[in-house]
Amino acid sequence: MQVTLQTIIGGVSLGAVYALVALGFSLVYRTMGLVNFAHGNVVTVGAYLASTFYLSTRLPFALAMIVAIGVTGLIGLVIERVLRPLENRDFDLMLIGTIGFGIVLDALIIMIWGATGRAVPSPVPSPPIDLFGLRIRTYDLVVLAIAAVATVLLVLFLSRTKQGAAMQAVAMDHEAATAVGIHVGRSNATAFMIGAGLAALAGGLVGPLLYVSPALGGALGIKGFAAAILGGFGSIPGAIVGGLAIGILDSFTAGHFQGYSELVTFLVFTVIIMIRPTGVFGERTVNRA
Amino acid sequence: MLRFRATAAIFSVALIAAGCSAPGSGNEDSGSTDGPIKIALVDAQSGQLSSLGAWELKGARLAVDEWNAQGGVNGRQIQLDVFDDQGDPTVGTNLARKIDSEGYIAMVGTAESAVTIAMAPLLKQAEIPNITSGQSPGLVAVGSDFLFLNGPTSTTYDETLAKHIVDGQGIKSIAMITNNGGYGKGEHDAFLKALQARNVTPLADQVVTTDQKDFSAVLTGIRQKNPKVIFLGAEEVESGLIVKQARDLGITATFAGAAPQGTPVFIDTAGARNAEGTIVSSPYLSNDISEASKKFAAAYKAKFNEEAELHGAKAYDGTQILLTALKTSNVATGKPLADAIRATKYEGLLGSFAFDRTGVGIFETSIGTIQGGQLVAAGS
Repeated sequence: MQVTLQTIIGGVSLGAVYALVALGFSLVYRTMGLVNFAHGNVVTVGAYLASTFYLSTRLPFALAMIVAIGVTGLIGLVIERVLRPLENRDFDLMLIGTIGFGIVLDALIIMIWGATGRAVPSPVPSPPIDLFGLRIRTYDLVVLAIAAVATVLLVLFLSRTKQGAAMQAVAMDHEAATAVGIHVGRSNATAFMIGAGLAALAGGLVGPLLYVSPALGGALGIKGFAAAILGGFGSIPGAIVGGLAIGILDSFTAGHFQGYSELVTFLVFTVIIMIRPTGVFGERTVNRA
Repeated sequence: MLRFRATAAIFSVALIAAGCSAPGSGNEDSGSTDGPIKIALVDAQSGQLSSLGAWELKGARLAVDEWNAQGGVNGRQIQLDVFDDQGDPTVGTNLARKIDSEGYIAMVGTAESAVTIAMAPLLKQAEIPNITSGQSPGLVAVGSDFLFLNGPTSTTYDETLAKHIVDGQGIKSIAMITNNGGYGKGEHDAFLKALQARNVTPLADQVVTTDQKDFSAVLTGIRQKNPKVIFLGAEEVESGLIVKQARDLGITATFAGAAPQGTPVFIDTAGARNAEGTIVSSPYLSNDISEASKKFAAAYKAKFNEEAELHGAKAYDGTQILLTALKTSNVATGKPLADAIRATKYEGLLGSFAFDRTGVGIFETSIGTIQGGQLVAAGS
């Protein structure tokens, strides 16, 4: 019982990070119908920026995160701006464009920060909380709280603001949205910017939990993408549920199947997707054109 | 239709990429007798194992520069070119073909056993001698006459470790965590064998994947068994994460391991306080063990402004052996060069090298512990 509960606790904190990554994937997908393959690399950029500001410039962790999110958001804008001429013309080229951006970002990361990586000390030094023999890291609680706040803010933005409503309209029908005077390009740019900001948030938060290296985003990107699909691609609550589910599933398979855990995680994932191709909350399947 | 176009586009990208690399790299004469001697260094320069690649490159570069400063080998300069295998066996096999077609006469690297094992058959076929920093017993099992190790195998590391822990300190309550990669598998088998030879059964024998991030389930299971020592058979970063998460879970056991557990990357990832007391089996504990190592460390520091460590020292030794063999064999290539390496007796930083038929040249490690964030020789 104790092992089971501790396993869930371990899975939840990484699950929250997967959820943030999945949110970024889903936000861009629901707005543009596009899978941003550079998303994982944007996570790495965010992690490096946050750790650089935190370690080198000695900014407080929260401030370092905000600066990192801002800078990474700008990178999201650049990606969207470069891809914009292709919008509604050649979707496949846009997809390949995002892959290309991923490779460029990967190379830039190695040029700027080197290939070696760095360890980020935890910004919350207090020891883990002991609850009936269960150990909960205080930093995990911080991660969970920030992820929850970010999700609430995102939902409020999408449902309560004009810009958010415009994005929802573009997501539903971009031709009709254009007809009523919504600037689709700007809407897409916002989606990319927020998506990149969420990636930076995920990357910055995961830094002290793991090890910041150029390979960081690759692993998180795949799990985050799987989380988005599992929850229902394009769905905001789906991304959260999917992220936590993948995190906990991963944690359990690691305990039971050891060296084959990755295999089992993705087998379970495949079976769920076969039974329910739209994911948990999904309304639509991935466009097969 | 759209899908077809996507496939076509990806194909054309791949074709262009393939086309870019092919033309300029035709078959040059590998046995040319003038111009620089071309040696390839193949190591991860990107990815999670890139710190190993970076250290290796520094050690090898230092050795090559020293020789070049003294006029090279037989009046020819040595050209050391770097190839990034990304820690990936597939990339490694492609590079094996590339260094063959581009006329490199020997290879230094890789630091990752799995990559070296993948490359070994191709290098054997191409008759390119390879001095690796890998330590998996699997390297010996390949049985290539062209493969040499610049350090001991896991068998030596783990036998020394088991001897210290079980025979020396009388500890029998031991748990194991290893990963399922080339290195981890080798460590698992070697340490388990060393324990079994002492009639010790590990309390737990847990296997993790190479890119696992959360170890709660594994560690909670081990915590309930309350071992005194936990053996780690995983690379630097993963081992560091395991130790950090173990301490967060309240595990107070001492950790033990081979080369990766003595590195700064391991200590940084785990946190110096968490790594305190870790028992390390290593052929190169510190830069102060001998006059040669002091000299090496000073040159390393002067050149790279960084403290020297085991992997740089291993690559330095390996490269020195290769260059010595090149000199004694009058810049031979292929089989004669491999034979010359095998015949080379060398007093290195790690000890006295004398290669046997399997390509292993050194059979000894020492025990150290991490004290205050530094690896120091064990007191006993």
